[in-house]
Parts: sequence; C-alpha cells; structure tokens
Amino acid sequence: MSDFSASKAYFERAAKVIPGGIYGSKSPGFLVPGHFPYYLSRGAGSHIFDVDGNEFIDYLCGYGSQIVGYGNPAVDGPALEQARKGDLLNQPHPAMVELAERLVALVEGMNWAVFVKNGTDATTLATSIARADTGKQIIVAADGAYHGAANWCSTNVFPVFTHAEQRDVRFFPYNDVAALEARFAEERGKIACLILTPYHHPTYKPQQLPTPEFIQAAERLCRDEGAWFIIDDIRANFRLDARGSHVYFGAHPDLVTIGKALANGYPISVLMGSEKLRKTASSFFITGTYWMSAVPMIASLATLGEMERMGGTARLAQLGGMLREGLERFGREAGFGARVSGPSAIPYLTFDEDPNLYLNQRFCAAMADRGVFMHPHHNWFISLAHTEDDIARTLEAAREAFRELVPKTGARHVQ
Amino acid sequence: MKVHFAQLNQEEQRVLARLKATLALRLAEKAWDADPALRQSASARGVAMKIGVGGAGSSMSLDVPAEAVPEPEKARARRPSLKLYFPSAEAAVKVLSGAKGFAIPLPLRGGAFSALGFFKRASSRATELLRDPATPAEIKAKLLLAATLFGLQAIAGESYLARRMRIVPDGTVRVRVEDIEYIVIKNGNSIKVQKNASAHATTSAGNFLEPTLADAELSFADYRSAIEVLSGARQAVVALGSGQVRIEGLLPLVQGLFAVLDRLSWYLGVEL
Repeated sequence: MSDFSASKAYFERAAKVIPGGIYGSKSPGFLVPGHFPYYLSRGAGSHIFDVDGNEFIDYLCGYGSQIVGYGNPAVDGPALEQARKGDLLNQPHPAMVELAERLVALVEGMNWAVFVKNGTDATTLATSIARADTGKQIIVAADGAYHGAANWCSTNVFPVFTHAEQRDVRFFPYNDVAALEARFAEERGKIACLILTPYHHPTYKPQQLPTPEFIQAAERLCRDEGAWFIIDDIRANFRLDARGSHVYFGAHPDLVTIGKALANGYPISVLMGSEKLRKTASSFFITGTYWMSAVPMIASLATLGEMERMGGTARLAQLGGMLREGLERFGREAGFGARVSGPSAIPYLTFDEDPNLYLNQRFCAAMADRGVFMHPHHNWFISLAHTEDDIARTLEAAREAFRELVPKTGARHVQ
Repeated sequence: MKVHFAQLNQEEQRVLARLKATLALRLAEKAWDADPALRQSASARGVAMKIGVGGAGSSMSLDVPAEAVPEPEKARARRPSLKLYFPSAEAAVKVLSGAKGFAIPLPLRGGAFSALGFFKRASSRATELLRDPATPAEIKAKLLLAATLFGLQAIAGESYLARRMRIVPDGTVRVRVEDIEYIVIKNGNSIKVQKNASAHATTSAGNFLEPTLADAELSFADYRSAIEVLSGARQAVVALGSGQVRIEGLLPLVQGLFAVLDRLSWYLGVEL
C-alpha cells in the first residue's frame, strides 16, 4: 500500500477551514480511504501523481474532462499563450465565434451555442429555456440520473428544496417505456421538457444503454406533448461520437449540453440548441462573469483538433474494448461474475454477485495499491493519451487484484 | 440558528418528545450496564417500566432484569411496574431535559416507585458518565452509540425525512466499535436498531462474501474515534478521510443515514 501521509496532512488542515475537508464527489469517503490519494499535484498524459509522489495510471480522467491527456502541449500551448495575453476580457474574444461555428458544424442537429462553465450551468439553462419557451413547468428525468448539483436536480433533498425547486421534477425508471408514457399521461399539458443522459450512468450501479424503443418513445412523447427533448451529454461527449452521443444512439434532441472533455479540463461547457429554440434563447438573459473567458475557448478549439489527430472515438473504443475484454476475462478466471457495463470508452466494472459493491471497493483498492486509479463507485473514462502499454499494465494488475480477492471471498478459482 | 420548542410544528414537537423519551430510556439502560452501584440500588428483580406521551404514539419501554432473574424470564418482555405518563409533548420534553414540568407516575404493579427512583438516578448517572472526563472510553462510546442509533430510530418516520428516506436504499448496516455491535435496519421510512448484530445480520441482496455481512458496514477505529464523531467533536466525513471511520458496502445507505443524523442533531439542539 502506498504512503499517503502528505495527503492526510493536507486533509487535516483542510478540515479546519473547508466544510468536510473535501466536499462533494471528491470527498475521500466516496473512494476507499487509505488506498487512494486525497490530493494530486500533477498529471502527464494518462498518469497522475499525488502529493506523496505516488504515480497512478488514471481511469477517472478528471471525471471525464481529460480526453487528450494531461498537459497535452497541443492544447496547453495555445491556451497558455492566450493566458499571457489576457483571459477574461470585457468583451468576448473572437475564439468564441470560431468555437461556436466549429461546434454548430460538428454537433448534429444543433444550430446555436451558449457557453457556460459547469455542466450544471448548461443543464439548468437548458431546462430554463424549455420552460420559458413552453410556458410549462414540469421537468421529466430518469431515476438516479445525474444532471448537476443545482437545487432542481441535486440530491440535496431538504424540504426547503423539495417544496420549491424540486417540486416540479418528475422521475421514471430509465428505459421503461410504459413508465415514461404513464408520466407523460399524468402530467399532460404541463411538461416543459424531458431530460436524459444519452445512456444511463447512475452512481453505484451498472450502466445501461438505451433501447431503440425507449429513444423512439421519448421523442414521440415529447412531440405529442409539445415538450422539448434535452440530451445531457456532459459526461459522455466526444467519447462515443464526435457529432454528439445522441447520434451514437440514434436520438434527435432539441437541446444538447456538452462539457467535461470539451476543452480537456479547461473550464467550459456549452448548451446547444436547434433552430426552433433560437428565438427564446436569444431573448433569455444569459450571463456569468467567467462564461466568456478566452483561454478555455482556445483550449477547446485545440482539443477538437487534437482529438481528431489522436484517432478520435474509434481509438477510444479500441482501447476501451481491450480493457473490457481483459477485465471480464481475468474476473471470470478468478471465479467472479465481473461485468463491464456501458460503452467501451466509458466503462464501469461491477460484480454480478455483489450489488452492494464490497467487491468493487476491494478490487479498486487493490488496483490503487498497484498504481491504477479506478473509482469504485463512478464510471471510468478512457482517454486518447492511454496507450496499449497502460492497458496491458492495468490488466496485469487486475489479474493480481482478482486473485487477491479470492481467498477473502471464497470465489471459485478456475484457472 | 437556534430553534425553540415553541417554533416547532405539532409533528416536530411529538417527534422530539419521543426522541427525548427514547434517549432517556436507552441511556438509563446503558447506565445500568455500566454502573454496579446503580444496579444494586434497583429492585432485586431489576426494572421494567414504560414512558407514554399524550398524542405521541405508543409507549416506549425499558426492561433491565437483574442478574438473579432466571434466563428464560430475561428473554421474555416483562410486565412493567410503572408507566411514566406525560400529558403533552411539551411536558415530556421539559421534564426529560431536566426542566420543571408535569409528569404522572402510574403504578401498574408492585415496585412502581422503586422503578421511578431508579429511572431518575439512572438518567442522572448517564448524564454524569457522558460529562465526566474520567469515564472509561468504552462506556462513553456505548452510551453515545446507543443514543445515536436509537435516536435515528425515534425520528426516522417523520414527514420532514420522508423524501430523503425514499431515496435511501433499504438494507442493513452493521455498526461496530471494537466489541460493540449493532445492526441498523432501514426499511421504507422506518429504522430499527438491534443489538448483538452477528446473531441477526442479514442482507437484503444476499451478499455472498460472508454469511454475516450486512449490506453496509460502518466501523470506528476505536472507542476514542467513536466518541469524537458521535459527540459531534469531529465531522463524520472528516473522520472518514482520516481513517477513524470506515464504510464498506452499500454507501448510499450509510450516507442516507448520515442525513438522518443531521436531523437528529437539529432536534437535539432545540431549546426550551
């Protein structure tokens, strides 16, 4: 097991001045304390380094934001050059126009772009525009879907929010056409929008791909209701299809939110919309002090080019496929029902025999002990900076980790 | 922000009264376990009593049989000798917080006033044990853990927590501090607490790892860690990071219970 004394020392200091020491999804309790670092100092390509000097092959990729690798000079070069010239100026930099043009040309079915910072900004703006345009209040979303940390969609279910911002959000089980139809029937004439992630990636559970029937039903119900169809592509964007993950699944949304990998970690997200919503978006007051800063836009333009140069989604699928195949094979060989769910570029391992995730926690702890950062409760990400050597080293560590679990669990070792 | 009893709605007043009664009874029970002198001061057969609060649901019981009571009899719930009845939630909260208030001791059989005397001494002793720096860590941890877990049980059904309880998965959590073990069972909007967890541990999903493994495990590194977290001196999330607390298994179940714990702290902060 690695030494994390510097991480722990920072955490003790943080606990005195920061609520919870580290808040939200980066809280140590979300990982496996004692096996993972709390503070990182740098990243290079597909590797990260913590404040104690430990190195990890990284499969969280800054929660998906790293797509062409940490410190990629093709992105950081132009971004840092602009930083020296000025980032946040009074008026937008021309890069904003170039980036909007580039995205409109790239993302299928979208005709305009509004730049914000976080995914929450984009999803909240999307639902607000849908409400403003329809004059209707209800938002329909899938159970367990993550659309951000604003009061309307967060897990902060304090009554002060459930009675106000969350009052008009309705949920249904993902991929359940009958339940979705029932929701639309119950709220007929009141639904402003349906918001879905392109595929379902609930925390603590295996990922689910949408059925074609589900996508068709979603579009039909929105059309009949006069509600807008939003695809929240914040997490998956550019890892499945450069034209938007909705293309990968054959969906035709009216609004799409994109973030994370958009600028390889520079803070920017975007709400994109179809022609039908341009007028409402134009009349909607949209602003944020940092939303038009130039550096992330220049980084985004560079990232889009670099993704293509490094092989794009085909390369991600290839690397992710190698990882998936190896993990499932070594898991089975050790006697486990190890299953990788979700798209190959955004995999997540679970154990069929352990829905409570004890095995995930023990497996990921064992992997971290071997220098591989795989989150036990959150889906993983492949980046274009990962190499065949990274995957091979990861699988060798996984073979050992699975074997290490066997004596503790009594799983049948068949090799 | 300080909240006063008068600011609570009727349901909150009832919940607080039940919480105070639950804590008083459970702490009296733990004081009985911890203090031989207290046991000797009670009736030769031990103490069986209950507390009732007007308009606040069914009575809550205390049953601490003396050593001399035969084992088969210990296993059965005994008929209480006393019902301490509070005509209102406000009366219960006042008296059980140590303020002046109105309570009616209703003798149900012989030994009622001995039970009342014991209850007063035990409540006072539990408070002393919690406050006294010389109290052994094991005893303090037992008192705090019982107060916390049975406190969760007392407030879980209130409407304020209803939506939170809906999104928290059902299941069992084994809570451990050295040799102290409890099983907390979350089912719908109720929480039930059982002692001697290993005898009862079950999992909702049939976890295969170990037959006795609950859906989640919450363990404290030692008594001192438990005292720091359960007394509020150290935040649970910080204790997790520093290794004083460990959670395994179904995290959303434990995280959901932490949210109920926040509500418990809120109730305990209500001023008269």
